[in-house]
Amino acid sequence: MPTLANMSLQFGSDVSSLLNIVWLLSFFVFIVYGQRIQVYIVGNDISRALNRLKLMKDKSRKEAVDYFVGTGKTSADPAVKIDEFLEYVTIMPVDLDPQGIVGKIEHITETRDERVRGEVKKMLPNAEPIKVSVAENILEIASSLNMIHKIVRHYYLLGKKTNSYILLVQLQMIMPQVLMEADALINAVDTFKLGQPVGDGIGPIIASKYMANVPKQVIAKDTVMSVTEYKGRTLYVLKAEGPMGYVGEPGLAIQKVIEEMNIPLNAIIMVDAALKLEGEKTGDVAEGIGAAIGGIGTDKFRIEEVSSKHKVPVYAILVKQSILEAITVMRKEITDASDRVHTLIGNLIEEKTKEGDKVLLAGIGNSLGVGQ
Amino acid sequence: MSTAPAPQPQQTQQGKSKFNVYTIEECPACGQKTKRAFQVGDYITKDGANCSKCGNVTKMTLIYAEPVVKSK
Repeated sequence: MPTLANMSLQFGSDVSSLLNIVWLLSFFVFIVYGQRIQVYIVGNDISRALNRLKLMKDKSRKEAVDYFVGTGKTSADPAVKIDEFLEYVTIMPVDLDPQGIVGKIEHITETRDERVRGEVKKMLPNAEPIKVSVAENILEIASSLNMIHKIVRHYYLLGKKTNSYILLVQLQMIMPQVLMEADALINAVDTFKLGQPVGDGIGPIIASKYMANVPKQVIAKDTVMSVTEYKGRTLYVLKAEGPMGYVGEPGLAIQKVIEEMNIPLNAIIMVDAALKLEGEKTGDVAEGIGAAIGGIGTDKFRIEEVSSKHKVPVYAILVKQSILEAITVMRKEITDASDRVHTLIGNLIEEKTKEGDKVLLAGIGNSLGVGQ
Repeated sequence: MSTAPAPQPQQTQQGKSKFNVYTIEECPACGQKTKRAFQVGDYITKDGANCSKCGNVTKMTLIYAEPVVKSK
């Protein structure tokens, strides 16, 4: 007959054996199924992010539909047309032979922009130009969010289908940045709807100060220019036409000034918003050399071509901001940089040119809410 | 710079922060600046209200957002 002491000893050894078995079993399970477990955990993480992206995509689409209904005041439902826009694709030219590719890209993007504007005008026939431009911008935001959602979903489903841990982990690693950009886009919708200047509009704001009380002429598509005088120099100031949400064609405008109007420029000064690095302060101002302009690269190419051909030095003044700040309502820290930018422009003109010289000042960026 | 008392600025949410958006109207004659809440239709270089000091037509010179300060 077993004694009480023997029983507890037997019970204790059973528990420890059981724990040993569980430990060995879990070791075996993790060796064999470890990757599948990780795929499951990572997949859940991406799935949550994907749901957030879907909510943002749906919200931007709804905002676009509401804007068209509210502005167009027509009984026709614009949703079908807007859904067509969201699926609209731009096929970039082949780059096997890169010679002349910039011209091809420019042609394709111009055709796309013309098509979108034409369709928007058809849907909003009696709307003011500013509302047409806002509608274009909102459509672009909705289209970008739609594309981001589609691409993330594609890689998520592909990773799950092929049980590819590496693919899913790569997607998980870039998700914070993807969500940050998507957040910036969805926050930009309200700013555009209200027609408020965005952080990217600091260049046009600076240029508009020099254009006050002087005649303006359209120099390129959605781009205006004024000729004024600054301390004995002739100053050619250009910006995108506001208060519409346009970025204009500053590359073509600068090329026209130099090659068609035959104006022998002595300097080009470009003012633009620039993405700050983490740790940099919003509204910090940096000076530099080279064409300060973003976008697909066609304007930058034109400016570099014409300035190098005619040996015109290009100076850049950059106002730092985050992606969120660049596409949402202008922050006070960014407008506070205006005084510093004006001082730098004055210093550049006085130090790098002499009286009688001709200087071109280009305010680069979206002109929403910034007239001239 | 004077501050117009009404209307109350509409708050906008950006990320986790809330902002009030203001329009600055500046008198080209006397330099008087007035800060008021942004209204739809405002844009930089647009004519504003008459100057409270000299009666000239002001110009909108700035539109910007400031974070909402929480009162304790």
